[in-house]
Amino acid sequence: MTWKDIAPVPTAQEFIDIILSRTQRRLPTQISRIRAFYTRKVKFTQETCSEKFGAIVSSFPILTDQHPFHRDLMNILYDADHFKVALGQVSTAKHLIETISRDYVRLLKYSQSLYQCKQLKRAALGRMATLIKRLKDPLAYLDQVRQHLARLPDINPTTRTLLVAGFPNVGKSSFVSSVTRADTPVEPYAFTTKSLFVGHLDYKYLRYQVIDTPGILDHPLEEMNTIEMQSVTALAHLRAAICFFIDISEQCGYSLKAQINLFKSIKPLFANKMVFVVLNKMDVKKFEELEPEMQAELNDLVKSGDVELLRASCATQEGVQDVKNHVCERLLAERVSQKLKAGTGSSGNMGSRLTEVMARIHVAQPMGGVTRETFVPEAIKNMKKYDKNDPERRRLARDEEFENGGAGVFNVDLKRDYLLANPEWKYDKIPEIYDGKNVYDYVDPDIDAKLAALEEEEERLEKEGFYKSDSDVGDESEEEILQKAELIREKHKLIRNEAKMRKSLKNRAMIPRKSLKKSFSQLEDHLDQLGVDTQEIDLRGRAAVRETRGRSVGARSRTGTVDPDAMDVDNAPSARDRLRSQSRPRDRSVMATNRREDGVTDELVRTKVERQAKLAQRKMNRMARQGEADRHIGATMPKHLFSGKRTIGKTSSR
Amino acid sequence: MRVDNCFFCGRPAWPSKGITFMRNDGKSFRFCRSKCHKNFKMKRNPRKLKWTKAYRKNAGKEMTVDSTLQFAARRNVPVRYDRELFAKTLKAMERISEIKARRERIFYKKRMAGKRAREVAAARKLVADNEHLLPRLRGSEKRRLAELAAERGVDVEELEREELAAKASGKKSKAFGGEVKRLRVRTDGGVEEITESFGGVVGEDDDEDDGFEDEDDEMDTD
Repeated sequence: MTWKDIAPVPTAQEFIDIILSRTQRRLPTQISRIRAFYTRKVKFTQETCSEKFGAIVSSFPILTDQHPFHRDLMNILYDADHFKVALGQVSTAKHLIETISRDYVRLLKYSQSLYQCKQLKRAALGRMATLIKRLKDPLAYLDQVRQHLARLPDINPTTRTLLVAGFPNVGKSSFVSSVTRADTPVEPYAFTTKSLFVGHLDYKYLRYQVIDTPGILDHPLEEMNTIEMQSVTALAHLRAAICFFIDISEQCGYSLKAQINLFKSIKPLFANKMVFVVLNKMDVKKFEELEPEMQAELNDLVKSGDVELLRASCATQEGVQDVKNHVCERLLAERVSQKLKAGTGSSGNMGSRLTEVMARIHVAQPMGGVTRETFVPEAIKNMKKYDKNDPERRRLARDEEFENGGAGVFNVDLKRDYLLANPEWKYDKIPEIYDGKNVYDYVDPDIDAKLAALEEEEERLEKEGFYKSDSDVGDESEEEILQKAELIREKHKLIRNEAKMRKSLKNRAMIPRKSLKKSFSQLEDHLDQLGVDTQEIDLRGRAAVRETRGRSVGARSRTGTVDPDAMDVDNAPSARDRLRSQSRPRDRSVMATNRREDGVTDELVRTKVERQAKLAQRKMNRMARQGEADRHIGATMPKHLFSGKRTIGKTSSR
Repeated sequence: MRVDNCFFCGRPAWPSKGITFMRNDGKSFRFCRSKCHKNFKMKRNPRKLKWTKAYRKNAGKEMTVDSTLQFAARRNVPVRYDRELFAKTLKAMERISEIKARRERIFYKKRMAGKRAREVAAARKLVADNEHLLPRLRGSEKRRLAELAAERGVDVEELEREELAAKASGKKSKAFGGEVKRLRVRTDGGVEEITESFGGVVGEDDDEDDGFEDEDDEMDTD
């Protein structure tokens, strides 16, 4: 339980400053609607106040909700009444401020001028400030309480706790500092420890809380001061193992008698707790060195019940660890037994929570404590022990192997151990595949029955005429039709092929059907194939061709309008030429003029002309022009010549 | 050692032939040849490829419902070797395969029933539509025959008919000749060997009466 995170409580003046400045900062300064503006101011101030007071009241612990130990401790330290009154005042102030604000808001509604509004607001805020001013003392007190609370040791009243108590200056703090990591102040005067201190120690992986208490003097409870009362509170409310320290050397300044008396007087506080009386400062004076009546008195303390006597010396550390271990051990055992008792009902059955815990705990015990012997068959027990030198020793598989050539030569005969109906079959060659089928797929103990069933079925089918075949032999006409169809199909195929061939261009130009040449022989053959007698056509065709072929050469006219002898031709063609021109195709006919000699008077001029022509062509040739009209500009940087690898070779050698 | 059926095409995969793929869930796939293996790797569906058993069975081209097919089965109950039992089994296997072959033949016949009628009908239509494509005598030939007839004093038409017939019979000549040998299972259980030659020699061609047979024979290996 910590109260370290309580916000600081401002003083009354600070409080007023905070609230007023906030009111000023957070609200708009422009006055648009007068009443609303001032109402808002008043309301905002009130809201801030309420919020702040509310926060203060709720942040402080409510005493009635606390553990009795903490409640009493706070009562002793801060005076519960005072504390309650302070908080009550704060909360009353909150209510009053709310009332004020409500009243003034109401008044503001009926105010008539800006000035009136302003005055009302001032009055409201002023009254609030006065109220807060009156809270000066409670606020200061609460802040102090806050500071002290934050510094209180973090005591957990429910955990495993060791409580160290005794007269002042008996060595309580030195014990705590030697046993735990806490740094408790140790000084050679009484009341060194003025408040509770907490340290922690580990024992068997568990954490224990050790509380160092201020010393107690032996006088009535009413006379005790605040410091002592803290110890008493701790003793009264904490369920802990109490280590009552007694200084038997009386170096502390209090007699042994007084210490024993104190123990007796505060004994009522030890009810239901484990108490250990630790005799400290053993190094100075041993228990045995005490007077007998003192010894008896101390033993009397122990006799009374739950009290144990332990010895230690914080100065020499003698017995300190023993004390710690013993106390921790006892405390743990006690707590466990108490928990078990609490969980178990009066009739001895466990409560639900405890059963749940117990169900999770399982201690495994092998075989439930039963011992099992290894089983050895009788035959093995009675077997004679193998001895190499015994002539009647058992024959081992190893012996057989050795006799047959040893390891790597001898092969174990596995077939010998086959379990078959007839041992003669052991070395049979078992067929695996027969007629392309796996024999093992057909192996079936009731193959006979199945085969018989199949045969029966076969017989039945035979009877039913399942196998009777009606072979359809086609008649003559059908055969003929089929044959004709075959011929037609073949013809179809041929036609299709031919058409394909004709159509496929194969990189040649598409020639119009009109200008396709078809020789006469082709036509003739086609007609012949169709069954037409082509002889007459042939003869007629040839004759016609002879008549009409070519230009009218020589002195003949088809129409006969021109008399062949009428015109005088310079160089009349000879008979051979005429014949030649008849057989020669028209496109190979002679040019009208010879361009080489055209327009040239004599040989001399011709050579000159030729030279001129060559000269004119020179430039063209040099520039690789096709002619004088060639204006082509090629690619200036052909990509393929300017890209590629060039690490070792040249651009051109790739 | 056993002869497994190819996972893909259903052909028997003999020991030492083909390849086996073991999937990481333990299923093994036996392939008879690389063709099947490749097709499998390409995730092709054997039911959709005409050359597989799966297709043929799916398309009703093969006998799938028959008592003879019940005999061969992988059994998970081990049977100890027994000489007599094995002898019986071998005999039974022979008999079963004989019966099976017979039934398959019948199955095929039934499947092909009516094919010829359909073919003839189709041929009739074709001939009726394309009569002009039938071979005729050339014009020159006709003239020659007419001259011949005039010389011999015989009827021209008769000569022409003879000539046409001779031509038609000799028409079926292909560039290369050959010979096909095939086993035919008769319905009575016997097996006859048929040798068919085609092309080559003109004239003595024995027109095969069942031209539809050759398409199926290669699948009938098992």
